[in-house]
Amino acid sequence: MDTTQLLKGVLDLAVLAALRDQDGYGYDILRRLRTAGLEDVGDASVYGTLRRLFNSGLLTTYVVPSDEGPHRKYYGLNAVGRAELDRSGKVWRGFASTMDDLLGERGTA
Amino acid sequence: MNVDQSHEDGFAVPRQESAEEITAYVEAVRAALSGLPEATRDELLEDLPEHLAEVAADDVGPLADRLGPPAVYAAELLASAGFVGGFPDPPARTDRIAEARAAIADWLREIDARTGPLFGAARASEFLLLLRPAWWVLRGYLAAMVVAWVLDSSAQPMGVLPRIGGSDVVALVLLAGGILASIWLGRRSRQTTNGPRYALWAGNAVLVLVALAGFNHVDGRSRDVFYDDANYTDPYGHVRDVFVYDEQGRLIQGARLFDQDGQPIRLGSPYCLDEAAQTDIPAADESAYPYCAQNAPFRMPDAAPTPSGPRPSDPTPSGPRPSGPSPSAGR
Repeated sequence: MDTTQLLKGVLDLAVLAALRDQDGYGYDILRRLRTAGLEDVGDASVYGTLRRLFNSGLLTTYVVPSDEGPHRKYYGLNAVGRAELDRSGKVWRGFASTMDDLLGERGTA
Repeated sequence: MNVDQSHEDGFAVPRQESAEEITAYVEAVRAALSGLPEATRDELLEDLPEHLAEVAADDVGPLADRLGPPAVYAAELLASAGFVGGFPDPPARTDRIAEARAAIADWLREIDARTGPLFGAARASEFLLLLRPAWWVLRGYLAAMVVAWVLDSSAQPMGVLPRIGGSDVVALVLLAGGILASIWLGRRSRQTTNGPRYALWAGNAVLVLVALAGFNHVDGRSRDVFYDDANYTDPYGHVRDVFVYDEQGRLIQGARLFDQDGQPIRLGSPYCLDEAAQTDIPAADESAYPYCAQNAPFRMPDAAPTPSGPRPSDPTPSGPRPSGPSPSAGR
């Protein structure tokens, strides 16, 4: 199975989760996701997802000057984003445990 | 490139190089997104140069090697940003309930932090947490009251203890049981899953309502004494008619009763049952007793009720008088 297909469905949740404990700028978030094990996640996907989540009112943003290179646009969760992370996280856990049960039943062959 | 940038004076050439590369890449992406309205496209790409600068700063090698061809990058961007087919999706608001809940939660947190100093704590909830065992005890008492109220079928009032059949022993046992169970439940509630927790909350809400109703009842009874007397302990509630006798034991007809203020005392109902017709006939005079002389409880053995009040001049030849025939006989 292609993990990029799976990623499409959960990228929003993954990005929200990556911002749960700490704000971050685009490339920083991409690195967090890759470090966490989502190695197939694309740069454009993270950038696009951040834009969309911000437009949907789930993120706050602020600019931090950087001593090396251009200033960075940081993203963080606002209350709506946290509520969405909470809600989507529950949906995912339920879904994942259903899949686990299903795979367990069929046997690991 | 990292190495180059760490040089104090070495930023010019690699920077310039990567800046040009980034500009070219962004322009290629922009061209691939030519199907989008211009404003949408500008908005989507406004941070892309800075973003790609981070990417470029992290590693060596041409951007296209790491990010793929600009056209593919553009397609991925389009898919993830939610602009499909060149039309922007309507703003994906999250559902309003979650939004409102988040806003209320923010607001409560704010109040929590602001009111904390009133209680000498960082947050008011820290102080309220200290009161939790007290709530458990109160909850146990309320639960015991509800149980007693459901089980108690005796007519006598329960009081403020959970008595069943008026028994104090049962009340104390039930009270102790309720409080212990409530404390046990309270200590355990942190581990319960969602289902039982919601049931517990619902139960708590019911008990709070019971507490308010009970408090209102007890408070009302302790304040409103008149209400209590008039409805429950009126000793004249059963009176239907009044019979007045003089000192000779003769029934007085047409008697009128007044209180200390001269207000007529109205007792009973001014009707008289007509035995023959089996109907109530209204009394002739509503302010004079008795309404119904033939129902007098005591009668002189041979004296019919006299039509008017006592007549001292009347010899009343028949019937023994309570005062006796002569005072000398008694001595």
